[in-house]
Amino acid sequence: MADDLLIPDDNESPLPLEELLSASGLVQEEVIELVQFGVFQVAGGSEPTWTFHSRTLTLARRAARLRDDFGLNVSGMALALTYLDRIEALEQRLRELESQLPR
Amino acid sequence: MKFKDYYAALEVERDASAEDIKKAYRRLARRYHPDVAKEEGAEDRFKAISEAYQTLSDPEKRQAYDDLGRHRPGEEFHPSPDWETRFRRDGGQPQEVDLADLFEQMGFGAGGWGRPAGPVPIRGQDLEVATELTLEQAAQGTEVSFNLSVPTLQSDGRVQRETRSGRIRVPRGVIEGERLRVPGRGGAGIGGGPAGDLYLDIHLKPHPRFRAVGHDLYLDVPIAPWEIALGAEITLPSLDGTARVRVQPGMRNGQKLRLAGKGLPHRREGAGDLYGVLQIVMPPELSERERELFQQLADASSFHPRLHLEGVPTDG
Repeated sequence: MADDLLIPDDNESPLPLEELLSASGLVQEEVIELVQFGVFQVAGGSEPTWTFHSRTLTLARRAARLRDDFGLNVSGMALALTYLDRIEALEQRLRELESQLPR
Repeated sequence: MKFKDYYAALEVERDASAEDIKKAYRRLARRYHPDVAKEEGAEDRFKAISEAYQTLSDPEKRQAYDDLGRHRPGEEFHPSPDWETRFRRDGGQPQEVDLADLFEQMGFGAGGWGRPAGPVPIRGQDLEVATELTLEQAAQGTEVSFNLSVPTLQSDGRVQRETRSGRIRVPRGVIEGERLRVPGRGGAGIGGGPAGDLYLDIHLKPHPRFRAVGHDLYLDVPIAPWEIALGAEITLPSLDGTARVRVQPGMRNGQKLRLAGKGLPHRREGAGDLYGVLQIVMPPELSERERELFQQLADASSFHPRLHLEGVPTDG
């Protein structure tokens, strides 16, 4: 076991809906609504056979945590995820600008 | 066994009502939730809050916890004789066990935060390992070794901490904040549930030269006033060698020189860019000759850099 070399998922391979559900703890209705809210982007397929980008799994796990820890409903999850996404984009922009300042 | 004060974790009195406990949890969760808080230690704090709430929000568990009596946090304590018979371990010696693990053992379920307990199949816990890579390792790909302590449910129902170690292949092109997922290598499922996943959080060590933003790299490029005045061809270090780049006459302080494709590589093909940020610097000490030449320049130039600061400011 100690010498077991583990190979991570290929981040660019599509993630089937089923796997997104089992790995995140969200239920299908929640995922459908989060797609409708535009928080999750579908990578391909049609509803029962949707696939997602692996980045969506990070979002989905975060959504499930927010749901469990704060008792959020889907609208609440969508709102929180949207704001967190914006904060991250702003932080990224800040890092970019800071990198251009002389040290 | 170490005693944990769940009431202190939630900052409530021991006789707090269920409503007070819920309110305290909400207030603290909002403050320390790892998805929301960025402060140091927030995640550990949240885990403690969450563990406390899981017990104190359930009347049955809260009663069981209260029956343990009052101990100081971290104090060694031994459960009542009744407990010893109900939950005795091999050899009779109490081992290091989490209170949370103990509650699971007492039949209070092993569900995640806020999930109902019961004989339903439960997906194994996700495990997370963090690692710090150098820029070079991130660019080329590497292997990371890890050691984890994982609570594992034994076949006889006991929970034991097991050490898990292994190595994870990190492909080239990872960036700060990226998470790699190894499916099915987390904690084992319970009651026929699937295993959790193992996550590797990537962080990049500060580099003496380059600052990484996504796949782009930034580098401070000190430049002499005459180089920027006259233009110059300069050599810059890149992550895997050097690159020649032209400084155009009249470029400004802080302006960026872009070296396309000289940043961190992408996973499959292509790479980010390297940006050299110009910084005009003076020699730390001027030689006699340099001083003389600057004096000549001062005498000859009609450039007035602060012209716009003179007089009364006008709109626009």
